[in-house]
Amino acid sequence: MAQRLALQRLLSLPTRGLLAPHGRAFGTSAGRRNTFNVQDGSDFQDRVVNSPKPIVVDFHAQWCGPCKILGPRLEKLVAKLEGKVLMAKVDIDDHTDLAIEYEVSAVPTVLAMKNGDVVDKFVGVKDEDQLEAFLKKLIGA
Amino acid sequence: GKNDYDLLVIGGGSGGLACAKEAAQFGRKVAVLDYVEPSPQGTAWGLGGTCVNVGCIPKKLMHQAALLGSALKDAQHYGWNISQPVHHTWSVMADSVQNYVKSLNWGHRVQLQEKKVKYFNIKGSFSDPHTVRGLTKAGKETVVTADNIVIATGGRPKYPTHVAGALEYGITSDDLFWLKESPGKTLPSFILYVSLECAGFLTGIGLDTTVMMRSIPLRGFDQAQMASLVTEHMESYGTKFLKRCFPTKVEKLKNNRLQVTWKNADLGTEETDSFNTIMWAVGRAPDTKTLNLEAVGVKTNSETGKIIVDASEATSVPHIYAIGDITEGRPELTPTAIAAGKLLAQRLFGQSAELMDYDNVPTTVFTPLEYGCVGLSEEAAVQRHGADNIEVYHAYYKPLEFTVAERDATQCYVKMVCLRRREQRILGLHLIGPNAGEVIQGFALGIKCGATYPQLMKTVGIHPTCAEEVTKLRITKRSGLDATVTGC
Repeated sequence: MAQRLALQRLLSLPTRGLLAPHGRAFGTSAGRRNTFNVQDGSDFQDRVVNSPKPIVVDFHAQWCGPCKILGPRLEKLVAKLEGKVLMAKVDIDDHTDLAIEYEVSAVPTVLAMKNGDVVDKFVGVKDEDQLEAFLKKLIGA
Repeated sequence: GKNDYDLLVIGGGSGGLACAKEAAQFGRKVAVLDYVEPSPQGTAWGLGGTCVNVGCIPKKLMHQAALLGSALKDAQHYGWNISQPVHHTWSVMADSVQNYVKSLNWGHRVQLQEKKVKYFNIKGSFSDPHTVRGLTKAGKETVVTADNIVIATGGRPKYPTHVAGALEYGITSDDLFWLKESPGKTLPSFILYVSLECAGFLTGIGLDTTVMMRSIPLRGFDQAQMASLVTEHMESYGTKFLKRCFPTKVEKLKNNRLQVTWKNADLGTEETDSFNTIMWAVGRAPDTKTLNLEAVGVKTNSETGKIIVDASEATSVPHIYAIGDITEGRPELTPTAIAAGKLLAQRLFGQSAELMDYDNVPTTVFTPLEYGCVGLSEEAAVQRHGADNIEVYHAYYKPLEFTVAERDATQCYVKMVCLRRREQRILGLHLIGPNAGEVIQGFALGIKCGATYPQLMKTVGIHPTCAEEVTKLRITKRSGLDATVTGC
C-alpha cells in the first residue's frame, strides 16, 4: 500500500519525461492511478475524505448488472481528465458500514466529493454526455 | 428501562424482519440478530432468511425458468421459428437468480437502516430470559438485553443420517439454489413439496431427474387425490419416480459420481444407480440447537423440537415469543410468519388485541403443473363434518392454451368442498393447473368472507380462463357422473 501511494505521488510530479518511452503504458497507468478500490474505512478516510483533488465515489455491487455498465464508462471518462479528478470504487457488500453511512440504498450510486463533503450525487446508469457534465461540474465548481 | 432494547428479534427472516420493522414504527428501540450457519456442504447466504435465500424466491424463479422451457416448445405450434431441441445453461440461470437474491439481501439491510432497527450479524443464545449473547464470525462476543424477545430462527433441511454417506455426499435445498454448476443427473429424495418442486424445475430445464419416495406424496397436505395427480403429471413431464423405495447408502465413485443403493419395499429387491447429485428433501428441523432454550425454560414439542406457543405467539416464558417456521402447529409459510410478526408487534407496542388468524391460509405447490389450495382438504372436511354432510364438486378441464400446443391436460383438475346443508358454505377449494397460485389467491378472499355455493353459482366467470372453471362447478362426486368439461 505504501509503495503504491509513493508511486502515485511520483507520477503526479511534472516529470512525465521519466515514462515518456512507454507512451501507451503511461496512458493506462494514468487510468489506473486515478481509479482505485477502497480497502477499508481508514483507507476511505485517507484517500477519499482527505483527497486533495475532487473525487467521485462509485458504490457498486457484484450482483448489480447496471453497475457493470456504469463503472467502466465512468472510469474511462475520469482517465480522460488526466488526474483532475480521482475515482474511488466501493463494493457495498465488502464495505456495508461505509455504504450505510453514506445512505446508499440502490446501486450504482455515485457521489461527487470535494474536501470531504458530498457536493453531488446520482443513482443508476448515465450516458457519457451526462457523466461528462457531472465530472465537469465537479471540477469547475 | 434497564434493558438495551424494547424488542430483540433473533432471526432475520420473513417473520423476524416484519416484526422488527413494525415494532420500530411505534418508535421502539429494536434490534435484530441474524446469522447463517453454513450448510454441511459449506453454503451460506445473507440477510433475509429462508424465503429470500434458499426458499420461495429462488425456487419460483427456477420454476419460471422451467416453464419458459415448456413455452419455447409450445411456441412452434403458435408459429414461432425456434430450432429444437432448446438447450439450457444452468450457470446463466443460477447467476441471475443468485444476483437477484443478493440484491434482496442488500434491500433488507437498507430497510432495517431506514426503519432504525439495529442489526447484528451474530449467532445468539440465551443467558437469561432478557439476555442474549452472540459471537461474530470473527469470534468477538456481544451481549444484548431486551424487555421482549422474539425467536424467529426458522428451520433447516434435515439429513437422513441413518443412510451411510448421506451427509458427506448429499446436498439439500440450502445448496441447490447456490450451485455454480449444473447438478446434472439428480435424485431428490423422498416426497415433500420441496422435493417435487425441485424435481419439477430440474426436469423442466432438461436434467435427468429421479424422485425416490418411500410412501405417499405430499404427506401433510392431506390430499391423496391431488398429490397423485401432481405426480402423474410430473411423470408424463419426464421426471422419473422410484415409488415405495428408500435409500440405504450413498457412496462416491472414482469418477466423482454418486452411487445410491436402495431397497424396493414392494419387490423386496435391492437396486443401485449412479447420479451426479443427491438432494435430500426429507423435512426441515427447527433451528433451536444453539439457542440454549433450556437455560431459560422455553418449552418445545418433544417430537418435532418446535417451540410451543399459544394463540398470541407467547412461549412458556413471559416476554419471550416465537413466530414462523420455528413454532409448533403453524404453517411453514412466509406470509403467515410476516402477518404473525406484525400483529405481535402491534399487540406488544400498539395497543392492539388482534390475534393471527391461521384459518383458511391459501398456499400453492409450484410443481410444473401447479397445485393451489385454500381451506379444508376433502379428507379433513369428511373427518370434521362427516361424508354425508359435505358435497364435493369437481371438474377436469383443459386450459385453452394447451389446445394449439397439443399439451396433455389430463391432470388439470378443480375440486370444491362445501357443506351440504343450510347455506352450503364453501370449506375448501383445490386447483391443479397453470398459474394455480394466481387463481386461488382471489378465491381465498371469498372463503374468508364465508362464501357459499349458491353465491359461487351466481358469480360470472371470465372467459376464456382456467379460473372460470371454478365458477362453472356443477358435477358432484356423489353423482358419479363424468366430470370432464367439454369446450365452449
